[in-house]
Amino acid sequence: MGRVFDWLDEKFKIKAPHKRFLQRRLPPGINYFYCLGGAAFTSYLLLFISGLLLSLYYVPSEMEAYESIVRIQNEVHLGWLIRSIHKWSATFLIVFILSHTLRVFISRAYKSPKELNWIVGCLTLVGAFASGFTGYLLPWDQKAYWATTVGTSMASTIPLAGRHLMYIIRGGMDVGGATLIRFYSFHVLWLPITMAALLWAHFHMIKRLGIKGRL
Amino acid sequence: MTRRGFLTGTVKAVIAAVITGVGAVAAYFMYPAGMRARQPVYCECMEEEALPKKGVKRAEYRFEIKGRQMTASVYIVRHDGGLYALSPVCSHLGCIVNYNRHKNEFICPCHGGKYDEGGNVIAGPPPAPLSRLPLKVEQGRVYIGVMLPQTAAAA
Repeated sequence: MGRVFDWLDEKFKIKAPHKRFLQRRLPPGINYFYCLGGAAFTSYLLLFISGLLLSLYYVPSEMEAYESIVRIQNEVHLGWLIRSIHKWSATFLIVFILSHTLRVFISRAYKSPKELNWIVGCLTLVGAFASGFTGYLLPWDQKAYWATTVGTSMASTIPLAGRHLMYIIRGGMDVGGATLIRFYSFHVLWLPITMAALLWAHFHMIKRLGIKGRL
Repeated sequence: MTRRGFLTGTVKAVIAAVITGVGAVAAYFMYPAGMRARQPVYCECMEEEALPKKGVKRAEYRFEIKGRQMTASVYIVRHDGGLYALSPVCSHLGCIVNYNRHKNEFICPCHGGKYDEGGNVIAGPPPAPLSRLPLKVEQGRVYIGVMLPQTAAAA
């Protein structure tokens, strides 16, 4: 294991620049509330892996979406487990991000030079909300349908452009097959990629600027 | 053992265990559910009176895949006192063999594989004899058992 890693590191040279970061002393005054961000990232990883697995069986089609969910739940080996992990990780992701935000706010870690990290974190929160909202439609049952109908109709209350914005989100006048495919694409491609980029930026700035930053 | 060495080892072991566990669950999740050994589907291929008294007779049977009618052929052979059905699929590369009445042989048009009335290889590349299909006679009708995809049914 170590030898394989050393051989790879000879090529990638990734160990040396991280050594200082991984073996640094933590600043005084750190407590377990500083783990909330890591817990949120763990939820993200769990969502990523369980989502990859679910995508093997889910069919994003008007006619088959609900049936494929029923199949995952009742027939696929451990399908109920993977789907539950996905569902609960999504809930915990929101809980952890919000409590992490609260911790950052209380410890005033959003101050310069880490103000951009706060902004990136907020964008990640928006991405998490968007993932939750688009993922909620995918089971394609009554609850999903009407939640999305109500949710997307909120966009139409924006003055002037609102109605057209709603049509863009729905991919039509009403929530339908086009909306399902659109939300599926956002849920499994656009949002995970965007969030991965945002999280990379988030972690890169922590490495460069430190956990607490200069107060 | 140093304190740091112990912690590093523990963390590595936990990571390895997690990766193994996730991999095992993922592999089990991906393995298709509801897999059962294929059972032969019995398709009617001729009347009992039409059975050959001696030698080889070509018969056709019909089945349905997703509502689409399909027809396939089978050779019914009475030879040396035995009655059996031979699949016309060549054991070499799966071409459909033809029966040659004059030579009394099954000849594959693709690579010249030859089989006798019993389906045994006489010449050419086939690695195995023609496969025998289960055959049964019920109420004056002859049925042969074929391994069809799960979505198929006898018609």
